Amino acid sequence: MARTLAMFTDTSLCIGCRACQVACKQWNELGQEVPEWTGTYQNHAHFTDKTFRLVRFIEEPKPQGQMAWLLMSDVCKHCADAGCLNACPTGAIERTAFGTVNINQDVCNGCRYCVSACPFGVVTFNHDTGTAHKCSFCNDRIHNGLGPACAKACPTESIQFGFRDDLVAKATKRVAALQAMGFKEAQLYGADSQGFLGGLNAFFLLLAKPATYNLPDNPQVPQRNVVRDSVFSLGSALLVGLGAIFAFRRRGEGKESDHA
Amino acid sequence: MLKTPGWEWMIVVYFFVGGIAGGAYFTAALADTFGTRRDGTVTRVGYLLALPLVALCGILLIADLGVPTRFMNMLRVFKFWNPMSIGAWGVGIFGLFSVVSAGLSFSERLATLRRGVGLVGMIFGFFLASYTGVLLSTTAQPFWGEARLMGALFLASGASTGMAAVSLVLLLIGGATGEGWRKIRWADRSSMVIELVVLGVFLAALGAAARPITTGHFAPLFWGGLVGAGLLVPLGLDIVAHRVKVVGALSAVLVLVGGFVLRYVVLMSIQS
Repeated sequence: MARTLAMFTDTSLCIGCRACQVACKQWNELGQEVPEWTGTYQNHAHFTDKTFRLVRFIEEPKPQGQMAWLLMSDVCKHCADAGCLNACPTGAIERTAFGTVNINQDVCNGCRYCVSACPFGVVTFNHDTGTAHKCSFCNDRIHNGLGPACAKACPTESIQFGFRDDLVAKATKRVAALQAMGFKEAQLYGADSQGFLGGLNAFFLLLAKPATYNLPDNPQVPQRNVVRDSVFSLGSALLVGLGAIFAFRRRGEGKESDHA
Repeated sequence: MLKTPGWEWMIVVYFFVGGIAGGAYFTAALADTFGTRRDGTVTRVGYLLALPLVALCGILLIADLGVPTRFMNMLRVFKFWNPMSIGAWGVGIFGLFSVVSAGLSFSERLATLRRGVGLVGMIFGFFLASYTGVLLSTTAQPFWGEARLMGALFLASGASTGMAAVSLVLLLIGGATGEGWRKIRWADRSSMVIELVVLGVFLAALGAAARPITTGHFAPLFWGGLVGAGLLVPLGLDIVAHRVKVVGALSAVLVLVGGFVLRYVVLMSIQS
Protein backbone atom coordinates (compact mmCIF):
# COMPACT_ATOMS: atom_id res chain seq x y z
CA MET A 1 0.00 0.00 0.00
CA ALA A 2 1.19 3.41 -0.91
CA ARG A 3 1.60 6.05 1.76
CA THR A 4 -1.77 7.43 2.73
CA LEU A 5 -2.65 10.62 0.89
CA ALA A 6 -4.60 13.38 2.57
CA MET A 7 -6.05 16.82 2.19
CA PHE A 8 -5.57 19.34 4.96
CA THR A 9 -8.06 22.19 4.86
CA ASP A 10 -6.82 25.09 6.96
CA THR A 11 -9.96 27.20 7.40
CA SER A 12 -7.94 30.11 8.86
CA LEU A 13 -6.54 30.73 5.35
CA CYS A 14 -9.81 30.43 3.44
CA ILE A 15 -11.00 33.63 1.78
CA GLY A 16 -14.25 32.19 0.46
CA CYS A 17 -13.38 32.58 -3.23
CA ARG A 18 -14.88 29.19 -4.09
CA ALA A 19 -12.18 28.40 -6.63
CA CYS A 20 -12.14 24.88 -5.10
CA GLN A 21 -15.86 24.48 -5.60
CA VAL A 22 -15.63 25.54 -9.24
CA ALA A 23 -12.50 23.49 -9.96
CA CYS A 24 -14.23 20.43 -8.52
CA LYS A 25 -17.27 21.00 -10.71
CA GLN A 26 -15.17 21.47 -13.83
CA TRP A 27 -12.78 18.59 -13.40
CA ASN A 28 -15.46 16.13 -12.38
CA GLU A 29 -17.91 17.38 -15.01
CA LEU A 30 -20.61 18.02 -12.44
CA GLY A 31 -23.61 19.68 -14.02
CA GLN A 32 -25.17 22.96 -13.12
CA GLU A 33 -27.75 23.24 -10.38
CA VAL A 34 -30.43 25.75 -9.55
CA PRO A 35 -29.07 27.94 -6.73
CA GLU A 36 -31.00 28.07 -3.49
CA TRP A 37 -31.43 30.85 -0.97
CA THR A 38 -29.60 29.89 2.22
CA GLY A 39 -29.66 33.21 4.04
CA THR A 40 -25.89 33.53 3.65
CA TYR A 41 -23.42 33.72 0.77
CA GLN A 42 -23.21 29.94 0.89
CA ASN A 43 -24.53 27.92 -2.01
CA HIS A 44 -25.67 25.18 -1.80
CA ALA A 45 -26.92 24.56 1.71
CA HIS A 46 -25.50 21.02 1.73
CA PHE A 47 -23.47 18.68 -0.40
CA THR A 48 -25.47 17.51 -3.40
CA ASP A 49 -24.99 14.86 -6.04
CA LYS A 50 -23.26 17.56 -8.10
CA THR A 51 -21.47 19.54 -5.36
CA PHE A 52 -18.61 17.66 -3.74
CA ARG A 53 -16.61 20.68 -2.51
CA LEU A 54 -18.70 23.23 -0.69
CA VAL A 55 -17.47 26.46 0.89
CA ARG A 56 -19.44 27.04 4.04
CA PHE A 57 -20.05 30.69 4.98
CA ILE A 58 -20.78 30.98 8.68
CA GLU A 59 -21.47 34.36 10.23
CA GLU A 60 -20.57 34.52 13.89
CA PRO A 61 -21.83 37.42 16.03
CA LYS A 62 -18.96 39.10 17.91
CA PRO A 63 -19.33 40.56 21.42
CA GLN A 64 -18.91 44.09 20.00
CA GLY A 65 -21.95 43.55 17.79
CA GLN A 66 -20.11 43.02 14.53
CA MET A 67 -20.27 39.83 12.52
CA ALA A 68 -17.25 37.70 11.77
CA TRP A 69 -16.88 35.30 8.84
CA LEU A 70 -15.97 31.75 9.48
CA LEU A 71 -15.19 30.17 6.14
CA MET A 72 -14.69 26.49 5.62
CA SER A 73 -14.22 24.57 2.42
CA ASP A 74 -15.94 21.29 3.27
CA VAL A 75 -15.51 17.97 1.52
CA CYS A 76 -15.89 14.22 1.96
CA LYS A 77 -13.68 13.27 4.92
CA HIS A 78 -12.40 9.97 3.43
CA CYS A 79 -12.64 8.43 6.92
CA ALA A 80 -10.11 5.75 7.85
CA ASP A 81 -13.12 3.80 9.21
CA ALA A 82 -15.89 4.92 6.88
CA GLY A 83 -19.60 4.42 7.54
CA CYS A 84 -20.40 4.41 3.80
CA LEU A 85 -17.75 1.81 3.02
CA ASN A 86 -18.94 -0.43 5.86
CA ALA A 87 -22.52 -0.02 4.63
CA CYS A 88 -21.97 -0.78 0.95
CA PRO A 89 -23.42 -4.25 0.15
CA THR A 90 -22.12 -4.40 -3.43
CA GLY A 91 -18.46 -3.58 -2.96
CA ALA A 92 -18.96 -0.46 -5.09
CA ILE A 93 -17.47 1.69 -2.34
CA GLU A 94 -13.82 0.83 -2.11
CA ARG A 95 -10.68 1.93 -0.32
CA THR A 96 -7.99 2.87 -2.80
CA ALA A 97 -4.31 2.08 -2.38
CA PHE A 98 -3.87 5.71 -1.29
CA GLY A 99 -6.33 5.32 1.59
CA THR A 100 -9.10 7.34 -0.03
CA VAL A 101 -12.70 6.17 -0.35
CA ASN A 102 -14.22 5.96 -3.82
CA ILE A 103 -17.60 4.89 -5.24
CA ASN A 104 -17.31 2.72 -8.33
CA GLN A 105 -20.20 4.02 -10.44
CA ASP A 106 -20.28 0.87 -12.55
CA VAL A 107 -21.03 -1.32 -9.54
CA CYS A 108 -23.29 0.79 -7.31
CA ASN A 109 -26.92 -0.34 -7.57
CA GLY A 110 -28.48 2.53 -5.66
CA CYS A 111 -29.59 0.87 -2.40
CA ARG A 112 -28.79 4.12 -0.56
CA TYR A 113 -27.61 2.48 2.68
CA CYS A 114 -24.37 4.49 2.39
CA VAL A 115 -26.41 7.71 2.26
CA SER A 116 -27.96 6.88 5.62
CA ALA A 117 -24.67 5.67 7.10
CA CYS A 118 -22.50 8.77 6.51
CA PRO A 119 -22.20 10.70 9.78
CA PHE A 120 -21.46 13.88 7.79
CA GLY A 121 -24.27 13.75 5.22
CA VAL A 122 -21.77 13.65 2.35
CA VAL A 123 -22.95 10.78 0.16
CA THR A 124 -25.87 11.77 -2.05
CA PHE A 125 -28.19 9.76 -4.26
CA ASN A 126 -28.40 10.87 -7.88
CA HIS A 127 -31.81 10.22 -9.40
CA ASP A 128 -30.50 10.41 -12.97
CA THR A 129 -27.85 7.72 -12.65
CA GLY A 130 -29.65 5.85 -9.85
CA THR A 131 -26.38 5.64 -7.93
CA ALA A 132 -24.67 7.27 -4.95
CA HIS A 133 -22.21 10.09 -5.56
CA LYS A 134 -19.53 11.83 -3.55
CA CYS A 135 -16.03 13.29 -3.76
CA SER A 136 -13.60 10.70 -5.16
CA PHE A 137 -10.51 12.62 -3.99
CA CYS A 138 -10.08 13.10 -7.75
CA ASN A 139 -9.30 9.42 -8.07
CA ASP A 140 -8.21 9.81 -11.69
CA ARG A 141 -5.82 12.66 -10.85
CA ILE A 142 -4.15 11.08 -7.82
CA HIS A 143 -3.49 7.90 -9.79
CA ASN A 144 -1.63 10.07 -12.29
CA GLY A 145 0.51 11.92 -9.82
CA LEU A 146 -1.65 15.03 -9.63
CA GLY A 147 -3.32 16.54 -6.58
CA PRO A 148 -7.09 16.89 -6.34
CA ALA A 149 -8.53 19.71 -8.47
CA CYS A 150 -9.72 21.68 -5.42
CA ALA A 151 -6.30 21.71 -3.75
CA LYS A 152 -4.67 22.64 -7.07
CA ALA A 153 -7.01 25.60 -7.52
CA CYS A 154 -6.81 27.00 -3.98
CA PRO A 155 -4.98 30.37 -4.19
CA THR A 156 -4.21 30.67 -0.45
CA GLU A 157 -3.06 27.11 0.27
CA SER A 158 -6.05 26.73 2.54
CA ILE A 159 -6.40 23.31 0.91
CA GLN A 160 -3.16 21.38 0.97
CA PHE A 161 -2.55 17.99 -0.55
CA GLY A 162 0.16 15.54 0.33
CA PHE A 163 1.14 12.54 2.40
CA ARG A 164 -0.97 12.32 5.52
CA ASP A 165 1.86 12.14 8.05
CA ASP A 166 3.57 15.22 6.55
CA LEU A 167 0.33 17.19 6.58
CA VAL A 168 -0.51 16.25 10.17
CA ALA A 169 2.93 17.47 11.29
CA LYS A 170 2.40 20.74 9.41
CA ALA A 171 -1.13 21.16 10.81
CA THR A 172 0.03 20.58 14.37
CA LYS A 173 2.58 23.39 14.05
CA ARG A 174 0.03 25.67 12.44
CA VAL A 175 -2.58 25.18 15.19
CA ALA A 176 0.04 25.95 17.87
CA ALA A 177 1.01 29.12 16.02
CA LEU A 178 -2.62 30.24 15.74
CA GLN A 179 -3.24 29.62 19.42
CA ALA A 180 -0.16 31.68 20.26
CA MET A 181 -1.62 34.47 18.10
CA GLY A 182 -4.78 34.47 20.24
CA PHE A 183 -7.10 32.17 18.32
CA LYS A 184 -8.05 30.31 21.49
CA GLU A 185 -10.47 27.89 19.85
CA ALA A 186 -8.19 26.93 16.96
CA GLN A 187 -8.22 23.16 16.75
CA LEU A 188 -7.65 20.26 14.42
CA TYR A 189 -10.61 18.14 13.36
CA GLY A 190 -9.97 14.55 12.34
CA ALA A 191 -6.16 14.75 12.30
CA ASP A 192 -5.71 12.22 15.09
CA SER A 193 -5.57 8.69 13.68
CA GLN A 194 -6.32 7.39 17.18
CA GLY A 195 -9.41 9.60 17.35
CA PHE A 196 -12.91 9.25 15.90
CA LEU A 197 -13.39 7.19 12.73
CA GLY A 198 -9.71 6.22 12.82
CA GLY A 199 -8.85 9.73 11.65
CA LEU A 200 -10.03 11.59 8.56
CA ASN A 201 -7.94 11.58 5.39
CA ALA A 202 -9.46 14.98 4.65
CA PHE A 203 -8.95 16.77 7.96
CA PHE A 204 -9.44 20.35 9.00
CA LEU A 205 -8.12 23.19 11.08
CA LEU A 206 -11.10 24.98 12.61
CA LEU A 207 -11.23 28.37 14.33
CA ALA A 208 -14.23 27.49 16.49
CA LYS A 209 -15.91 24.46 18.00
CA PRO A 210 -16.92 21.78 15.46
CA ALA A 211 -20.61 22.43 16.20
CA THR A 212 -20.21 25.99 14.89
CA TYR A 213 -19.44 24.46 11.50
CA ASN A 214 -22.27 21.94 11.86
CA LEU A 215 -19.74 19.14 12.35
CA PRO A 216 -20.45 16.40 14.88
CA ASP A 217 -18.18 16.44 17.97
CA ASN A 218 -17.64 12.71 18.08
CA PRO A 219 -18.90 10.99 14.92
CA GLN A 220 -19.08 7.20 15.06
CA VAL A 221 -19.27 4.38 12.56
CA PRO A 222 -22.93 3.36 12.81
CA GLN A 223 -22.19 -0.34 12.20
CA ARG A 224 -20.53 -0.54 15.62
CA ASN A 225 -23.97 -1.44 17.04
CA VAL A 226 -24.68 -4.44 14.81
CA VAL A 227 -23.80 -7.14 17.32
CA ARG A 228 -25.59 -5.59 20.29
CA ASP A 229 -28.75 -4.83 18.32
CA SER A 230 -28.75 -8.35 16.88
CA VAL A 231 -28.44 -9.88 20.34
CA PHE A 232 -31.49 -7.90 21.48
CA SER A 233 -33.36 -9.14 18.40
CA LEU A 234 -32.37 -12.70 19.29
CA GLY A 235 -33.82 -12.16 22.78
CA SER A 236 -37.07 -10.99 21.23
CA ALA A 237 -37.06 -14.04 18.92
CA LEU A 238 -36.65 -16.37 21.90
CA LEU A 239 -39.57 -14.75 23.71
CA VAL A 240 -42.04 -14.92 20.82
CA GLY A 241 -40.77 -18.39 19.91
CA LEU A 242 -41.38 -19.64 23.44
CA GLY A 243 -44.83 -18.03 23.35
CA ALA A 244 -45.68 -19.89 20.17
CA ILE A 245 -44.27 -23.19 21.45
CA PHE A 246 -46.27 -22.82 24.64
CA ALA A 247 -49.46 -21.96 22.69
CA PHE A 248 -49.26 -24.98 20.41
CA ARG A 249 -47.96 -27.41 22.95
CA ARG A 250 -50.09 -26.64 26.00
CA ARG A 251 -53.45 -26.63 24.26
CA GLY A 252 -52.41 -29.49 22.00
CA GLU A 253 -51.70 -31.96 24.75
CA GLY A 254 -54.96 -31.22 26.51
CA LYS A 255 -57.05 -31.61 23.40
CA GLU A 256 -55.22 -34.64 22.12
CA SER A 257 -55.82 -36.51 25.34
CA ASP A 258 -59.52 -35.57 25.11
CA HIS A 259 -59.75 -37.32 21.77
CA ALA A 260 -57.43 -40.19 22.55
CA MET B 1 -26.69 18.05 7.91
CA LEU B 2 -27.35 14.35 7.61
CA LYS B 3 -29.01 12.91 4.54
CA THR B 4 -31.87 10.46 4.66
CA PRO B 5 -31.79 7.50 2.29
CA GLY B 6 -35.21 8.10 0.74
CA TRP B 7 -36.54 4.66 1.67
CA GLU B 8 -40.19 5.40 1.20
CA TRP B 9 -43.39 3.53 0.42
CA MET B 10 -41.86 0.47 -1.24
CA ILE B 11 -39.62 -0.06 1.76
CA VAL B 12 -42.50 0.56 4.20
CA VAL B 13 -44.44 -2.20 2.43
CA TYR B 14 -41.36 -4.41 2.26
CA PHE B 15 -40.67 -4.11 6.01
CA PHE B 16 -44.33 -4.89 6.73
CA VAL B 17 -44.61 -7.83 4.32
CA GLY B 18 -41.20 -9.21 5.31
CA GLY B 19 -42.29 -9.23 8.95
CA ILE B 20 -45.45 -11.15 8.09
CA ALA B 21 -43.57 -13.63 5.89
CA GLY B 22 -40.98 -14.32 8.60
CA GLY B 23 -43.62 -14.48 11.33
CA ALA B 24 -45.92 -16.79 9.37
CA TYR B 25 -43.00 -19.10 8.56
CA PHE B 26 -41.64 -19.50 12.06
CA THR B 27 -45.16 -19.88 13.47
CA ALA B 28 -45.76 -22.66 10.92
CA ALA B 29 -42.47 -24.35 11.79
CA LEU B 30 -43.10 -24.19 15.55
CA ALA B 31 -46.69 -25.43 15.12
CA ASP B 32 -45.39 -28.29 12.99
CA THR B 33 -42.79 -29.37 15.52
CA PHE B 34 -44.48 -28.67 18.81
CA GLY B 35 -48.15 -28.92 17.87
CA THR B 36 -50.30 -31.92 17.17
CA ARG B 37 -51.34 -33.38 13.84
CA ARG B 38 -54.46 -31.27 14.06
CA ASP B 39 -52.29 -28.15 13.76
CA GLY B 40 -51.38 -29.20 10.22
CA THR B 41 -53.63 -26.51 8.78
CA VAL B 42 -51.77 -23.78 10.64
CA THR B 43 -48.48 -25.14 9.31
CA ARG B 44 -49.73 -25.36 5.74
CA VAL B 45 -51.29 -21.88 5.83
CA GLY B 46 -48.13 -20.40 7.36
CA TYR B 47 -45.82 -21.90 4.74
CA LEU B 48 -48.13 -21.14 1.82
CA LEU B 49 -48.50 -17.56 3.02
CA ALA B 50 -44.76 -17.01 3.47
CA LEU B 51 -43.95 -18.02 -0.11
CA PRO B 52 -45.86 -15.36 -2.09
CA LEU B 53 -45.01 -12.74 0.52
CA VAL B 54 -41.26 -13.33 0.30
CA ALA B 55 -41.57 -13.22 -3.49
CA LEU B 56 -43.24 -9.82 -3.11
CA CYS B 57 -40.36 -8.79 -0.79
CA GLY B 58 -37.86 -9.60 -3.51
CA ILE B 59 -39.81 -7.62 -6.12
CA LEU B 60 -40.12 -4.58 -3.83
CA LEU B 61 -36.44 -4.64 -2.91
CA ILE B 62 -35.31 -4.85 -6.50
CA ALA B 63 -37.78 -2.22 -7.70
CA ASP B 64 -36.61 0.23 -5.03
CA LEU B 65 -32.98 0.11 -6.17
CA GLY B 66 -31.60 3.04 -8.14
CA VAL B 67 -30.44 0.58 -10.81
CA PRO B 68 -32.69 -2.48 -10.45
CA THR B 69 -30.83 -4.42 -13.17
CA ARG B 70 -27.78 -4.44 -10.91
CA PHE B 71 -29.53 -6.18 -8.00
CA MET B 72 -27.24 -9.18 -8.38
CA ASN B 73 -24.32 -6.94 -7.36
CA MET B 74 -25.57 -7.48 -3.79
CA LEU B 75 -24.24 -11.03 -4.14
CA ARG B 76 -20.72 -9.98 -5.16
CA VAL B 77 -19.70 -9.58 -1.53
CA PHE B 78 -20.71 -10.86 1.88
CA LYS B 79 -20.18 -8.52 4.82
CA PHE B 80 -21.30 -10.23 7.99
CA TRP B 81 -21.30 -6.95 9.95
CA ASN B 82 -23.54 -5.24 7.42
CA PRO B 83 -27.33 -5.75 7.69
CA MET B 84 -27.90 -4.70 4.07
CA SER B 85 -25.43 -7.32 2.84
CA ILE B 86 -26.56 -10.21 5.04
CA GLY B 87 -30.13 -9.03 4.43
CA ALA B 88 -29.83 -9.53 0.68
CA TRP B 89 -28.41 -13.02 1.21
CA GLY B 90 -30.92 -13.75 3.98
CA VAL B 91 -33.97 -12.83 1.91
CA GLY B 92 -32.73 -15.09 -0.87
CA ILE B 93 -32.06 -18.03 1.44
CA PHE B 94 -35.37 -17.54 3.21
CA GLY B 95 -37.05 -17.56 -0.20
CA LEU B 96 -35.49 -20.95 -0.98
CA PHE B 97 -36.65 -22.36 2.34
CA SER B 98 -40.14 -20.99 1.69
CA VAL B 99 -40.31 -22.78 -1.66
CA VAL B 100 -39.21 -26.10 -0.16
CA SER B 101 -41.46 -25.81 2.91
CA ALA B 102 -44.49 -24.81 0.86
CA GLY B 103 -43.92 -27.83 -1.35
CA LEU B 104 -43.45 -30.18 1.60
CA SER B 105 -46.54 -28.82 3.35
CA PHE B 106 -48.68 -30.98 1.04
CA SER B 107 -47.04 -34.24 2.01
CA GLU B 108 -47.60 -36.13 5.25
CA ARG B 109 -45.14 -38.84 4.20
CA LEU B 110 -42.34 -36.29 4.28
CA ALA B 111 -43.40 -34.75 7.60
CA THR B 112 -40.07 -35.46 9.29
CA LEU B 113 -38.13 -33.84 6.47
CA ARG B 114 -40.55 -30.88 6.52
CA ARG B 115 -40.00 -30.38 10.25
CA GLY B 116 -36.24 -30.50 9.82
CA VAL B 117 -36.33 -28.01 6.97
CA GLY B 118 -38.76 -25.83 8.93
CA LEU B 119 -36.56 -25.66 12.01
CA VAL B 120 -33.59 -24.46 9.95
CA GLY B 121 -35.68 -22.16 7.75
CA MET B 122 -37.23 -20.69 10.89
CA ILE B 123 -33.88 -19.09 11.71
CA PHE B 124 -34.10 -17.16 8.44
CA GLY B 125 -37.72 -16.30 9.20
CA PHE B 126 -36.68 -14.71 12.49
CA PHE B 127 -33.86 -13.03 10.62
CA LEU B 128 -36.13 -11.54 7.94
CA ALA B 129 -38.52 -10.18 10.57
CA SER B 130 -35.78 -8.46 12.59
CA TYR B 131 -32.83 -7.51 10.39
CA THR B 132 -34.78 -4.62 8.87
CA GLY B 133 -34.86 -3.02 12.31
CA VAL B 134 -31.12 -3.55 12.80
CA LEU B 135 -30.60 -2.07 9.32
CA LEU B 136 -32.18 1.16 10.56
CA SER B 137 -30.45 1.11 13.94
CA THR B 138 -27.04 0.89 12.27
CA THR B 139 -27.39 4.11 10.31
CA ALA B 140 -26.06 7.53 11.30
CA GLN B 141 -29.62 8.92 11.44
CA PRO B 142 -31.17 10.45 14.56
CA PHE B 143 -33.79 8.24 16.24
CA TRP B 144 -33.05 5.19 14.02
CA GLY B 145 -29.38 5.08 14.93
CA GLU B 146 -30.15 5.41 18.62
CA ALA B 147 -32.85 2.72 18.76
CA ARG B 148 -30.99 -0.28 20.14
CA LEU B 149 -34.24 -2.28 20.23
CA MET B 150 -35.44 -1.54 16.69
CA GLY B 151 -34.71 -5.09 15.55
CA ALA B 152 -36.32 -6.59 18.66
CA LEU B 153 -39.43 -4.46 18.13
CA PHE B 154 -39.70 -5.32 14.45
CA LEU B 155 -39.34 -9.00 15.30
CA ALA B 156 -42.14 -8.92 17.87
CA SER B 157 -44.28 -7.02 15.36
CA GLY B 158 -43.40 -9.54 12.65
CA ALA B 159 -44.54 -12.32 14.97
CA SER B 160 -47.83 -10.66 15.89
CA THR B 161 -48.64 -9.66 12.30
CA GLY B 162 -47.55 -13.03 10.90
CA MET B 163 -49.81 -14.85 13.35
CA ALA B 164 -52.65 -12.40 12.63
CA ALA B 165 -52.29 -13.04 8.89
CA VAL B 166 -52.32 -16.82 9.44
CA SER B 167 -55.47 -16.42 11.61
CA LEU B 168 -57.26 -14.47 8.90
CA VAL B 169 -56.40 -16.99 6.20
CA LEU B 170 -57.56 -19.80 8.47
CA LEU B 171 -60.86 -18.03 8.88
CA LEU B 172 -61.24 -17.34 5.16
CA ILE B 173 -60.63 -20.96 4.12
CA GLY B 174 -62.93 -22.22 6.85
CA GLY B 175 -60.10 -23.86 8.75
CA ALA B 176 -60.74 -21.84 11.88
CA THR B 177 -62.57 -24.59 13.62
CA GLY B 178 -61.54 -25.75 17.05
CA GLU B 179 -58.10 -25.75 18.53
CA GLY B 180 -55.98 -24.50 15.63
CA TRP B 181 -57.75 -21.16 15.79
CA ARG B 182 -57.54 -20.96 19.58
CA LYS B 183 -53.86 -21.80 19.54
CA ILE B 184 -52.90 -19.27 16.90
CA ARG B 185 -54.93 -16.57 18.70
CA TRP B 186 -53.21 -17.50 21.97
CA ALA B 187 -49.81 -17.29 20.27
CA ASP B 188 -50.78 -13.96 18.70
CA ARG B 189 -51.81 -12.56 22.08
CA SER B 190 -48.49 -13.61 23.59
CA SER B 191 -46.69 -11.87 20.70
CA MET B 192 -48.78 -8.73 21.24
CA VAL B 193 -47.89 -8.69 24.93
CA ILE B 194 -44.19 -9.14 24.09
CA GLU B 195 -44.44 -6.39 21.46
CA LEU B 196 -46.02 -4.02 23.99
CA VAL B 197 -43.30 -4.74 26.52
CA VAL B 198 -40.52 -4.33 23.93
CA LEU B 199 -42.15 -1.11 22.71
CA GLY B 200 -42.27 0.21 26.28
CA VAL B 201 -38.58 -0.50 26.84
CA PHE B 202 -37.80 0.86 23.34
CA LEU B 203 -39.45 4.19 24.17
CA ALA B 204 -38.00 4.37 27.68
CA ALA B 205 -34.48 3.68 26.40
CA LEU B 206 -34.80 6.24 23.61
CA GLY B 207 -36.26 9.00 25.76
CA ALA B 208 -36.16 12.28 23.86
CA ALA B 209 -34.65 10.55 20.81
CA ALA B 210 -38.07 8.96 20.15
CA ARG B 211 -39.70 12.36 19.68
CA PRO B 212 -40.00 12.00 15.88
CA ILE B 213 -42.75 9.43 16.54
CA THR B 214 -44.00 10.26 20.03
CA THR B 215 -44.61 13.96 19.43
CA GLY B 216 -45.55 16.12 16.48
CA HIS B 217 -46.97 15.19 13.12
CA PHE B 218 -46.64 11.41 13.48
CA ALA B 219 -47.73 11.18 17.12
CA PRO B 220 -51.48 10.65 16.50
CA LEU B 221 -50.70 7.82 14.10
CA PHE B 222 -48.17 6.27 16.47
CA TRP B 223 -50.25 6.46 19.65
CA GLY B 224 -53.64 5.97 18.01
CA GLY B 225 -52.78 3.66 15.13
CA LEU B 226 -50.10 1.46 16.68
CA VAL B 227 -50.30 1.61 20.48
CA GLY B 228 -54.09 1.99 20.69
CA ALA B 229 -55.81 0.50 17.66
CA GLY B 230 -52.92 -1.77 16.71
CA LEU B 231 -52.02 -3.32 20.08
CA LEU B 232 -54.15 -2.43 23.13
CA VAL B 233 -57.55 -2.69 21.42
CA PRO B 234 -56.90 -6.02 19.63
CA LEU B 235 -55.29 -7.46 22.75
CA GLY B 236 -58.32 -6.45 24.84
CA LEU B 237 -60.79 -7.73 22.24
CA ASP B 238 -58.94 -11.00 21.88
CA ILE B 239 -58.69 -11.63 25.61
CA VAL B 240 -62.39 -10.94 26.10
CA ALA B 241 -63.90 -12.70 23.13
CA HIS B 242 -61.44 -14.56 20.89
CA ARG B 243 -63.86 -17.50 20.70
CA VAL B 244 -66.19 -15.27 18.71
CA LYS B 245 -64.68 -15.55 15.24
CA VAL B 246 -65.69 -12.06 14.14
CA VAL B 247 -63.97 -10.52 17.15
CA GLY B 248 -60.85 -12.63 16.62
CA ALA B 249 -60.81 -11.60 12.97
CA LEU B 250 -61.25 -7.93 13.84
CA SER B 251 -58.41 -8.24 16.33
CA ALA B 252 -56.19 -9.80 13.64
CA VAL B 253 -57.02 -7.03 11.16
CA LEU B 254 -56.16 -4.39 13.75
CA VAL B 255 -52.84 -6.07 14.51
CA LEU B 256 -52.00 -5.97 10.79
CA VAL B 257 -52.92 -2.29 10.62
CA GLY B 258 -50.72 -1.64 13.67
CA GLY B 259 -47.80 -3.49 12.09
CA PHE B 260 -48.08 -1.35 8.97
CA VAL B 261 -48.37 1.85 11.01
CA LEU B 262 -45.22 0.90 12.96
CA ARG B 263 -43.13 0.58 9.77
CA TYR B 264 -44.70 3.70 8.30
CA VAL B 265 -44.12 6.01 11.27
CA VAL B 266 -40.59 4.71 11.91
CA LEU B 267 -39.50 5.13 8.29
CA MET B 268 -41.33 8.30 7.37
CA SER B 269 -41.01 10.30 10.60
CA ILE B 270 -37.40 11.30 9.96
CA GLN B 271 -37.61 11.25 6.17
CA SER B 272 -40.39 13.76 5.61
